[in-house]
Amino acid sequence: MGENPKILFVDDEPDFLETTIKRLVRRGYEARTATNCDEAMVVLGSGWPDVVVLDVMLAGKDGIQCLQEIKKEWPRMTVIMLTGHASMGAGIKGLECGANEYCMKPIELDELLEKITIAWHEAFSSAKKQ
Amino acid sequence: MILQRFRNFFGKWLSPPQRDETLLRRSFQEHYKIFRSLLTANNNALELIAEMEQALNSGRPFGMTFVHSHCTALSFQVYKMIQRVQELSDNRYGGLIQAFREVSYNMEAILAAQPVIAGGPFILEMNQIDRRSADQAGEKMANLGEIANRAGLPVPDGFVISAAAANHFITANNLQDEINRRMTICNLDNLEELYRTSAAIHGLITMAPMPEDLDRQMHDAYRRLAERLGEQPLLAMRSSALGEDSGNASFAGQYRTQLHVEEEMMAQTYKEILAGMYKSQAIVYRLQRGFRHQDVIMCVGCLAMVDAKVGGVMYSRSPTDPRSPYVVISAVPGLAGQVVDGRVDTDIYEVRREPPYGIMALKLRRGADKEILSDDQAGELCRIGVRLEEHFGSPQDIEWSINQQGAVVLLQSRPLGQASIVETAVLTTPRPSEEDTLFAGGVAACRGVAAGPVYVVRASLDLLQFPKGAVLVVEHPLPEWATLLSRAVAVVSETGQVAAHLATVSREFGIPALFGIPGVAGKLENGQVITVDATGGRVLSGRREELLGEPAPQPDLMKGSPVYKVLEQVLELVAPLNLTDPASLYFRPSACKTFHDLTRFCHEKGVSEMFSFGSKYRFDEKAAKQLVGETPFQWWVIDLDDGFIEGYDRHEKFIRIEQIVSPPMLAIWEGMTAIPWEGPPPVSIRGFGSIIFQSTMNRELDPSVRSGMTNRNYFLVSSNFCNVSVRLGYHFAMVEAHVSHLLTENYVSFQFKGGAADENRRYIRVQLLKDILERFGFRVEQKVDALTARIEKKPGPFLQSRLKIIGYLLIHTRQIDMVMDEQVKVEQYRKKIVTDIEETILQPEEPPAAEN
Repeated sequence: MGENPKILFVDDEPDFLETTIKRLVRRGYEARTATNCDEAMVVLGSGWPDVVVLDVMLAGKDGIQCLQEIKKEWPRMTVIMLTGHASMGAGIKGLECGANEYCMKPIELDELLEKITIAWHEAFSSAKKQ
Repeated sequence: MILQRFRNFFGKWLSPPQRDETLLRRSFQEHYKIFRSLLTANNNALELIAEMEQALNSGRPFGMTFVHSHCTALSFQVYKMIQRVQELSDNRYGGLIQAFREVSYNMEAILAAQPVIAGGPFILEMNQIDRRSADQAGEKMANLGEIANRAGLPVPDGFVISAAAANHFITANNLQDEINRRMTICNLDNLEELYRTSAAIHGLITMAPMPEDLDRQMHDAYRRLAERLGEQPLLAMRSSALGEDSGNASFAGQYRTQLHVEEEMMAQTYKEILAGMYKSQAIVYRLQRGFRHQDVIMCVGCLAMVDAKVGGVMYSRSPTDPRSPYVVISAVPGLAGQVVDGRVDTDIYEVRREPPYGIMALKLRRGADKEILSDDQAGELCRIGVRLEEHFGSPQDIEWSINQQGAVVLLQSRPLGQASIVETAVLTTPRPSEEDTLFAGGVAACRGVAAGPVYVVRASLDLLQFPKGAVLVVEHPLPEWATLLSRAVAVVSETGQVAAHLATVSREFGIPALFGIPGVAGKLENGQVITVDATGGRVLSGRREELLGEPAPQPDLMKGSPVYKVLEQVLELVAPLNLTDPASLYFRPSACKTFHDLTRFCHEKGVSEMFSFGSKYRFDEKAAKQLVGETPFQWWVIDLDDGFIEGYDRHEKFIRIEQIVSPPMLAIWEGMTAIPWEGPPPVSIRGFGSIIFQSTMNRELDPSVRSGMTNRNYFLVSSNFCNVSVRLGYHFAMVEAHVSHLLTENYVSFQFKGGAADENRRYIRVQLLKDILERFGFRVEQKVDALTARIEKKPGPFLQSRLKIIGYLLIHTRQIDMVMDEQVKVEQYRKKIVTDIEETILQPEEPPAAEN
């Protein structure tokens, strides 16, 4: 468990990805992006990320389907749902499928990083006992 | 409740099977992690509830996206708490899921409610409509029909493409879902994003094909109009939205009007006007005024163009004084629309409301040597203005034209908005020029004074760079600049007057606006700080504090709006707390009627499951360590994880304060022990009688039911967490805190209830506590003699200083309820407590009061 988690952002809004990644790198985080579920699965397959930040409303396979695929392959992966417009049902479905945290867009980067850290620590500490 | 906890904790102490110590400790830590996760979710949920309540009370704008996303995030956190408490309790509280489903189902029903779309024909002829047709023809056209068909005054002939038609267009092209999607993902604070979304939706609508049946009916209606007029008329196509022009929301100039439309351009123009609902200024305006975009349905009026010689706007009462005996008329040569666009200077007439309708005041437009209206024309307009006011029953804001034949034709009449009445001055009240006066004169489109850096906007491209808090400086007060009114502190324009749409919207938003200052845009430089004194008709250099004074209260634009009402209804299912007493029979899942109830229940049970760990799995070591040292009472401490120093022998029965490494507990402790307790206050016979009476009424206070355990007070600690349940004397208190370097999970919460005295005195004590806690930055809720106080997301040192205050209060407010019937004593205690806190409890470098 390094000091900062390596973060994979899965989102189909290129502007959001670009600005977020730039700011994260400036703060010393390692971050990568994927614009759809299939791309995300490839990055996850490489064993690189510690945390996935996943938009619920993805084009193609939606965020919930993507979450299910991730959790099927990597049940202990920390996944944070980040969205501005999911229904209440989608939020609960995400939790039932194993999402660790849910954040609203827009979100301050500092706040997002703290939520990521808390969820990562929480998941890591329960994972290590499994 | 607490009694039960202790029974759980110690009752089966000896009976459960003994487990391997390492396994047991691991199992305990696992429980603790789940418990931590529950606390984090609890913290997040309470914060979301507070944000929703603040939104409702702040008067600041919020949209449906805010409401939706908060409901979703909150339901996620509450459901997470339920999952966690179920894990902790081996699924003992299955009823929570059912309670959660019921609340969520009702919330979703509120969020999903759609406006009822009126059915009926796609086309309504002008002679078919009146005020009652508003839900089919939109407010503007319904009012115009009323003027023609009920008041018997002249309006242009034409027809309306109805709400049913707009709905048909959107449905036939399957546009609504895509529009909703784009609107919800748009961050409206980001102007570039706003423009991109606006343009994309505009494209969706204007590129969609016209449904054949609607197209045919529009052309049929045009041909009938041509037959009536005996010529192929050019059309003025005007937006007439449902909900527009109603009450206090003017929607002035937010939507589109297209003049001189030929028949073959009618369908395309119709789509342009529908798309006008998503112009950037319309989106911002709806957000500011609390309208959901799906609530706005665009009807379109198609009226034969008036060949106007003169046009303008008339207020049936002076905007400054609703009882004034004058009608105020603005007039320009040509089309009336120029007045509301603000591009041209106008003649302004004040005309007496009674015959013979004499002109009492006149201001000519710049450069003119003669007025546009004759006395007779001004009199005729005035007569019509008074007639319309009588007909509609309130002062009216009327758009009119005089055609080439000299006849008056009315184009629009709507209630003169409250904002217009209260805040407007037709002319400024000139104040003397001073050395640093840059400009003087003009009209106060909205009174008030504000200061900020200049930002000149000449083209749409300039809009994107507009900084928050700047003064908007323009050549003309065009309606599209309204997009910036949520960011600007004041508006200055070279042209325009009070009837301009931008003036109306400025007044609604309470933004000082000074119009009619020639050359201002050319002479001011971006970034230059100025003070705009709209009331005094001056622009001064620099920031003039003495003029700024107290900022005027911003009008609450949201209250009563559709979005406000949705949040209000949703909050009924979110915020009320019905479960206050954990000892009550009703403290159970089926009694949870709100998300707040569910969080309360889960938190309470989560804490008690942590307490009862020892009853389920016997610890080899004694979990509770008695605190030794010079302490005023007896205390026990239970380590949840890493709250004791390394090397501490866990077989010990006792622990010293310096062996504890839980900063939140140490802060509470420091507050408790900083100043010795002077003992109970001297009680009068009356106060003592009150206690005896309460003791006989309140079983919890009966010594015969108290065991040794109930006198024990416990700290549950880890290196960044502390929960302490306290029963000191006759009141119950619980303090809980998490303090780490992560601001988002930092909080202090404090609950307090009860006492030995009668209800009134207990209430006064809690009121005193509330005052003090608020003074030091807590958010406090009080219900009779129960109080909850919270602070969140603050840095560790700040929270520790607040924990010290709570520690102090726990000790020093003991038993003072007994003397709370004497006002002098209440004040004495208040003074002593505040002095103690400020001078002793808080170190000099610590934040003294509710600053953040």
